[in-house]
Amino acid sequence: MIYGQLDIVCIRKINDTESLLKLVQDSTQRLKVFLTVLVLGISFFRFAKRDFAYRETTAFEEFMIDSFGPVQRAFADSQSWLSDLINHYVANVNASKTNEELVKKIAKLESTLLATEETIKENQRLKELLKFGQNLTHQEVLAQIVAWDASSDFRVIRINKGAADGIRIQSPVVTANGVVGYIYRLTDHFADVLTILDPNNRVDGLVARIRAHGIIEGYTDRRALMKYVTRTEPVILDDMVLTSGLGNIYPKGLVIGHVAKIERQSYGITQHIEIRPAVDFSRLEEVIVLMSNSDASKKLEWSALDAFDGGSDQ
Amino acid sequence: MNAQLRHIIIRMFVTLLVLIVLETLASSLFPMFGMTRYRIPFNVLIVLYITFKLRTPWIPVMVFLVQWFHSIFTVEGWEIGTIAGVFVAIVVSYAKDLMHFSSVMITMVLTQVFQCVWLAVVIGLLSLKGAENFYLLDKFWRFIPESLILSILSPFLFSILDKIWASSERGMLGDDG
Repeated sequence: MIYGQLDIVCIRKINDTESLLKLVQDSTQRLKVFLTVLVLGISFFRFAKRDFAYRETTAFEEFMIDSFGPVQRAFADSQSWLSDLINHYVANVNASKTNEELVKKIAKLESTLLATEETIKENQRLKELLKFGQNLTHQEVLAQIVAWDASSDFRVIRINKGAADGIRIQSPVVTANGVVGYIYRLTDHFADVLTILDPNNRVDGLVARIRAHGIIEGYTDRRALMKYVTRTEPVILDDMVLTSGLGNIYPKGLVIGHVAKIERQSYGITQHIEIRPAVDFSRLEEVIVLMSNSDASKKLEWSALDAFDGGSDQ
Repeated sequence: MNAQLRHIIIRMFVTLLVLIVLETLASSLFPMFGMTRYRIPFNVLIVLYITFKLRTPWIPVMVFLVQWFHSIFTVEGWEIGTIAGVFVAIVVSYAKDLMHFSSVMITMVLTQVFQCVWLAVVIGLLSLKGAENFYLLDKFWRFIPESLILSILSPFLFSILDKIWASSERGMLGDDG
């Protein structure tokens, strides 16, 4: 009986050795194993190194995106042309075009009004303390959405403006209603925008009414989460959430959205807050890219910090 | 070997053109009609075809190429899909002799099964990278309709790719690699 079991073990070992020998001798098998190990090794290395703050493109990637971008744009244009034709001519709704423009104008005016209110509040609260960054103006570039990300894991949109139009990596993207996201990947003529609905996008925000800070992070295709807001903060439904200006990406006072759900447990130190974005992402067609001289802004911040350090040293 | 490689390069080029057309449709045409939550991952279907039907040692490189071209249309990158694709190829290589695409139903079932393997690998990798549970759960719920649509489309797309690769039951060019 024991001899029988030993025989089986020996036969197995011989088979294993034979298959290993075959692997070493067979050039096709060798190539297969080599390529598998090589591709897996490079993929694992790149995957481990991956950072989601922004993505740099190689020259070849840039060429490919710029080549296929116009095809995506053609699809977007044809859809827009078709919907225009149906809305304004076939359906014969003459007032719809004017109405659309007026709605956009009202939204823009509301946004301006809110920005003014925020500036007044800011001036009252901070007096002259943060004056160093206020003289920087933003240039605006209007862009059209040409495509969405090919993977449903990412809430990313592709726009038809790129580095040639003056856009930079991490430039903020907005509409008249509020924040859309920031530039994540850039080529000469196209750019990918990581929206606030994407879990990889984190925005420092504050609840406008009570000035409570938190980090806004993508949650679902319609909601974002506001994290790290302490349980004692009296947040209520429909509270407006704005960008805080921290993080060097978004300017202060842009509307992110409104509080849609609050879960406050009797334990723990934070509360679960869901935000309904001010921007309707399902109907998004055009966006505005804000371009500020971020280098100048950073230089001013550094000089302010240096001045503070110098003062404290003395 | 060189003749085979030449055939592979030409056919791979045509396959990549098919992928580009499908990715363009998935990324621009479908979302314009309100399909913003779901996308059809055609790259997965093409990688599955390569691993199912072709018998060549160049499969890992082909998987990488498909994923690289896919990364033009998404910020996902090529890395995670390549790892998942090569892992699926290794699993398939052990079961290749048992798999026969004799009917539409079997093609759909096998495609569905290996999409589940793909999902398991991707979820495992994302967990290692620290992805949160709600994100993985959301991914799983999106996977169900997306994978079902892909499985339904698989016999049709596989028949097109069969024509491109002149693939038979024994695999491309009858190679046993």
